[in-house]
Amino acid sequence: MRRAYIERQRGEHGRKSVAVLPVHHPKELLTALDLLSVELWGPPGPPRGPDVGRVQSYVCAVARNALAFLAAGHADVVDAVLYPHTCDSIQGLATLIPDFGGCAKPALTFLHPKGPSRPSARTYLEAELRSLAASLEGIAGKELEPERLRAAIALHREIDDTKARVLAGRARLPLADRALYEQLRRGEFLWPEEHLAELRALEARLESAPVQRGVPVMVTGYVPEPMGILDAIDDAGAFVAVDDWAAIGRRVTRAQTFDRAGEPFRALVDLYHAAPPCPTRHADQGARMRHLLDLFDRSGAAGVIVHEPKFCEPELFDVPAIKKTFADRKVPLLYLETELEAELPGQTVTRIEAFVEMLQSSRRAA
Amino acid sequence: MITRRVQYEVAGRLAGPALFRLEAWQQRVKKMRKGPRKSAIFGPPLECVSKLKELMGTHYLQGRYADGAVPVAWVTSGFPVEILRPLGFHAVYPENHAALCSVQRVVPELSDAVEKEGYARDLCSYARTDIGSVVTGKTPVGRLPKPDVLLCCTNICQTVLYWYRALAAHFNVPLVLMDTPFVYGEAKPHHRQYVRDQLEELVDVAERVGGKRVDPEELEEVVRVARDGTRLWGECLAASRAKPAPWTGIDGFFHIAPIVTLRGTRQCNAYYRMLLDELNDRVAKGIGGIVNERHRLLWDNLPIWFDVRGLSTLMAERGFNFVVTTYTNAWAEAGSRIDPADPIGSAVVAYTDIILNQDLNKRLDTMRRLSRDYSVDGAVLHSDRSCKPYSIGQIDLKQRLAKELDMRVLVLEADHGDPRAYAKEQGEGRLTAFMEGFS
Repeated sequence: MRRAYIERQRGEHGRKSVAVLPVHHPKELLTALDLLSVELWGPPGPPRGPDVGRVQSYVCAVARNALAFLAAGHADVVDAVLYPHTCDSIQGLATLIPDFGGCAKPALTFLHPKGPSRPSARTYLEAELRSLAASLEGIAGKELEPERLRAAIALHREIDDTKARVLAGRARLPLADRALYEQLRRGEFLWPEEHLAELRALEARLESAPVQRGVPVMVTGYVPEPMGILDAIDDAGAFVAVDDWAAIGRRVTRAQTFDRAGEPFRALVDLYHAAPPCPTRHADQGARMRHLLDLFDRSGAAGVIVHEPKFCEPELFDVPAIKKTFADRKVPLLYLETELEAELPGQTVTRIEAFVEMLQSSRRAA
Repeated sequence: MITRRVQYEVAGRLAGPALFRLEAWQQRVKKMRKGPRKSAIFGPPLECVSKLKELMGTHYLQGRYADGAVPVAWVTSGFPVEILRPLGFHAVYPENHAALCSVQRVVPELSDAVEKEGYARDLCSYARTDIGSVVTGKTPVGRLPKPDVLLCCTNICQTVLYWYRALAAHFNVPLVLMDTPFVYGEAKPHHRQYVRDQLEELVDVAERVGGKRVDPEELEEVVRVARDGTRLWGECLAASRAKPAPWTGIDGFFHIAPIVTLRGTRQCNAYYRMLLDELNDRVAKGIGGIVNERHRLLWDNLPIWFDVRGLSTLMAERGFNFVVTTYTNAWAEAGSRIDPADPIGSAVVAYTDIILNQDLNKRLDTMRRLSRDYSVDGAVLHSDRSCKPYSIGQIDLKQRLAKELDMRVLVLEADHGDPRAYAKEQGEGRLTAFMEGFS
């Protein structure tokens, strides 16, 4: 489906496309240069090529599957591959593939700074964004115009605002979790204006009163894969009231304090630092815990599901702190570790059912 | 404060050296009574080992009294520690401590403690060990001082960042990050500038925590000492270009401790001068690290700390010696680039352009060069479950090394710290089959 879409974008609009690995990248730059950003979260499921064997099995499947996918030529329709500096594994792919083979497309990197919003990081990020913009100009075959960048920033803020309203009104949306998240994840490859139109259509479906009857839960983790987890939550009688998946909720910047008429690269720097705390950007752990508690309190969730893929170091290192944070508040928490390559196992479904049942009994008792 | 400082100085200057010298003397007396021990496999033990124990033992003993006496920093191995020396910091290296825990085989116990809290066993065993030690208070070195500041440099991996975030939350102390952008090809000017800016920010924080200003002359001197120490370490390693190599790569894993933890100190350099003299003497006399060196190998990645002895014995029995390792070599290359005339500017390059922060082509170049310089005829690439940045790419590196240099290369899956992640029988079976292929 994505291949056909990419080809259509090229045919109808003359747009080139860039495959982008997780998690954070300045999509505004691509939009401003008329480049289609197509995110590559693995893809999930069994590896789609023999090159998966070039990386050890103890490395996260997002990186392994991406290598297999790219090396098998499944992404030959794109014009370049962008590797953000997310973790050691994706950083490693950004040398393994270009240097030792796997994809002949130009490899771009976005080495975003780690750490707080200190002067060195701000200056560096602006320079790194300009450097990436120059590389993207080469792919797009056109120059980046400040006005177009400002317009792209405004467009993506509108997307985030709309997404935030949809997510905040989750209980009033008459859609099952899978249908909602499939819709939200179309933003991983749709042209932003099309994605915004779909989000607005979603927003229009918000009812005036809650329609979700299940138990509200909060989910934090990396990516809602396998998607069966959403069916399992739904079937068990719960719904995702708020999410902190790195792929979804954690990329919705709600506090948008930036100068719309000002220097656009500086606006991107401001937005980068205003984004929700994410361990791949090294927000301090305390700040992330406070953010999670805030999300939880505002959502009215009855419990928390921590959903992580195996071997994902940035995510897994925060799990003990998340457990402790919610245990201190006596909030029920379920920890699930799933595999990107496989469907949701029956044991995990049973654990979700038992957890939701427990939440339901607590609610009844209350 | 004054009492604590006195305890700290006494431990470091008197008690430590005296205790470890006494222990060394007792060992010598024991040996004299028993007669010289002659191994049929290994060459005579290095005389320097007792001095190494004294140096490192004293460092850890002194550390017990450091908090409250001097500013204490917990530091990642690739951090530009030179800046701390003129400010009188006591630097603790959790990675070195975790390696020590692995050699002492206490990793499973410490890791279990944090696995109960939710740390996955798939995470780096150094991190699990260290956090386990913090949580339980258990350590083979008696006690680690509480940090005043955590200093983390990402030039070795991103894992240290996640690990130190957890430590910062636990100790509630500042975490200073040196974020070194990965070098693909050549570092871009704004990447270099970013590291430089952070070094300057670091000086401010270190001065604030240390309670005094960095004296430029003192810093220059520390940098000179660090550079000389690194070069001395490089010369020690280079002694293994001789045939037979006067020591083993496994010995090198232990003797690396001073250049990691005491870099920039005179004791460190004095130790390596002593070691170098001894190695040169062995080369002159034709004394090898193993008795019958038939094959010379390169080792890639960290050691398997909990089984170094077993592994080196298995190899040495068949005449195989690891004469060079990419890991110990990394400590000889980075620091040699620092320049006393430009401590900050040269540190930018020295601490950015290190093997783990550079692309795989550079790594392959280094391995090719080392293989030729040390005349190796095979290589073992340790696929280390706990060190993903060092391990990603090894399958391709193996194929390229084998093809380009026409040598046998084995990828051995294990872990640098946790014995539960190593199938010893299978590993030894693979190594044995690998060695059989040479005959």
